Amino acid sequence: MSEPDPTPWAEDTLTRRAQRGSEWFGLATLLGAGALILAIGMRLVTGALAAVAVVVLVGFVVALIVAAVAGGLEARRRLAPYGLLKPGTLFLVLFYLAPLFSLLRSSLSTLPSRFAVEAEFDWNFGNYGDAFSDFGAQFGRGFLYAGIATVLCVLIGYPLAYVIAFRSGRWRNLLLGLVVVPFFTSYLIRTIAWSSLLADAGPIAGSVRWLHLTGLLEAAQVMDNGRLINTPAAVIGGLTYNFLPFMILPIYVSLEKVSPALVDAAQDLYSSGFRAFRKVVLPLSIPGVFAGTLLTFIPAAGDFVNAEYLGNPNTTMIGNSIQDQFLVQNNVPLASAMSFVLMVIITVAVLIYTTFLGTEELT
Amino acid sequence: MSQPHEPRRPRPARWNRRQLLARGGALGAAGFSLPALLAACGDDDDGGASGTGSTTGSTAGGTAAPGTTAAGGTAAGSGEGGELFFENWPEYIDVTEDGLVGTVDRFAEATGIAMRYTDAFSDNVEYFALIQPVLGRGDTIEPDIIAPTSWLAGRLINLGWVDKLPLDQVPNAANLRTDLQNPAWDPTGEYSLPWQTGITGIAYNLDATGRELTSVADLFDPEFKGRIGMLTEMRDTVGLLLNWLGVDQSTLTTFDEAAEAFDRLAQAKADGQIRAFTGNDYLDDLSTGNFAACIGWSGDVVQLSLENPAVRFIIPDEGGNSWADTMVMPKGAANRDQAAKWMDFVYDPVQAAQITAWVQYVSPVAGLQEEVAKLDPELAESPLLFPDEETLARLSTFANLSEDVEAEFDAAFSEITGA
Repeated sequence: MSEPDPTPWAEDTLTRRAQRGSEWFGLATLLGAGALILAIGMRLVTGALAAVAVVVLVGFVVALIVAAVAGGLEARRRLAPYGLLKPGTLFLVLFYLAPLFSLLRSSLSTLPSRFAVEAEFDWNFGNYGDAFSDFGAQFGRGFLYAGIATVLCVLIGYPLAYVIAFRSGRWRNLLLGLVVVPFFTSYLIRTIAWSSLLADAGPIAGSVRWLHLTGLLEAAQVMDNGRLINTPAAVIGGLTYNFLPFMILPIYVSLEKVSPALVDAAQDLYSSGFRAFRKVVLPLSIPGVFAGTLLTFIPAAGDFVNAEYLGNPNTTMIGNSIQDQFLVQNNVPLASAMSFVLMVIITVAVLIYTTFLGTEELT
Repeated sequence: MSQPHEPRRPRPARWNRRQLLARGGALGAAGFSLPALLAACGDDDDGGASGTGSTTGSTAGGTAAPGTTAAGGTAAGSGEGGELFFENWPEYIDVTEDGLVGTVDRFAEATGIAMRYTDAFSDNVEYFALIQPVLGRGDTIEPDIIAPTSWLAGRLINLGWVDKLPLDQVPNAANLRTDLQNPAWDPTGEYSLPWQTGITGIAYNLDATGRELTSVADLFDPEFKGRIGMLTEMRDTVGLLLNWLGVDQSTLTTFDEAAEAFDRLAQAKADGQIRAFTGNDYLDDLSTGNFAACIGWSGDVVQLSLENPAVRFIIPDEGGNSWADTMVMPKGAANRDQAAKWMDFVYDPVQAAQITAWVQYVSPVAGLQEEVAKLDPELAESPLLFPDEETLARLSTFANLSEDVEAEFDAAFSEITGA
């Protein structure tokens, strides 16, 4: 290695220092703005102080723009990512992180008296103990019912999506439309409609009695003591019905991308139709199934509408308990702890699920 | 001017607040907004039997101000006399319909007060949860008069969240039944004036039960497994069970005295005996036969039985509960003079008789039997409207619990109701 020329080396250092300076500056404005909007979102600063914070926040944004405009081409190149990150970051901090921290904070608070309005923050981990000990059964039912409903959705949704993608010909758009049509009616109205349809004196229970299928359905645990409604099966059925389109659509999208030529190729290589499906179509549609199960399971686990209208006092899900604690008992700390636990369990479950099924093909 | 006592129009499906919120929540999740939904429901109410009758200038439903969910309407009235807002329970006043002018309209006509009457009050616990954050911060809620049941009125009085009534401007308050003067929940009688009182007993659908019921024990009959309804109102449900178990509900001081009732209830729930715990919405299930039998309120069921003769109401052999819903003015209520006029109006026996003939509850206004007889002689003989000594002896009222004990009762009850 020969003696380096001192001058370019010095220039290089200078440039690097300037570059590093730009990066620090960009990062600082991003973090500063994020911290301020978090403080505002969590209502840690209020009143006049909040107004000041907003002004400073705007200052950070303006400073970044000014620095980028005033600086050279290199500085702009360095600062651009921070500028582009800013809207998304601030949005996430304000509408995701701030509420999340607020929820965490109130889950560690205590109501000073029974009818108090404001809970006091005092690291009260007892709320989490209560959430588990008092509502363990509801947590269990919530995940059980959501899990069964998700499996049913796959079993019903996959064949349907398959037929629409490969066998529907010119009816494809019509069939897809029919999958979505129920959404034009409110979720609640549809659920309540089921409670009328399944009522003791309703048409479905009447048909079952007329066909003398009561014994069969009782054995299959679908009926309970001659009732279709206010049973676990009704709740699971309601969840399945309501979330089915969320399963069908992602599976359809992934199946639709599978080229029929691949199936032809498999069959040219003497694969049976089923084997071609198992080795070619199914693996290629797994991302759709993955997305569909998440879209079904996560909202279903927190749902309370189906259990409210189609269930009985022994089928309440965790969503019902959280709703009751928040809106009826006004026990915000306990309700927050329950919400947090629900969120953590779902996150962990999804992470485990992801490691097994993988997401790299989900783009 | 004797009006024939006719059956009411068919009852539209009712939504309580929990259901409204549930609908709102789910719709919100689906990308709709709560105010839009409430507006829709408000319109719905205006069209249905919201109890307001002729709604000349119906207020926009979307104004989801504290203390209100669905909006009713503003009654006829020039507005010269000021405004008044009364939030009451559903089906709790005579409405304007063919050939009849409802109390709200008659009041507006007589006083020139623009009255807004809504029926969003459907569950004491839920209503309290709704107003607690507002009144607890020292803010005012929109209604000038609300209609909590006596125990909730007592709680609001203790919390200092209600104003004294302008009773000096209510000469007709002298018509209050003597047994309701200075009640346990309001010992000085300065904060509350009963709206209606009534009886909690057993309602059943004869088509579904196939036999007449007589006792609370019938609610635990395995024959009716999964077809029994109980009320989310703790005092009604537990009180009736206590009567059955031979415990005097009016003298309770500790939770242990009532523990057996809670055990029985928990057992019945675990066995699948109980189909649902409901608020005012039990009537639909009863009418369609989803409930073979349930705990119910006298006036509601009597009204319903006019439409569906299979529906019956009994005071069980072991005894029923008597209760009172009251008019109180939330702290800072704006229209005190108008509220006084309203209370005076509805405590006039002539007006009170109209309400009684419609709602079929026990009026708190004394000397009403003659006035009701003018409207409907048969009704004036009904023991459910004018209980005789013998009936009264079979009724008791839930004790006024201390705050700590009440918390124990509430916690145990909400554990059973399952949510």
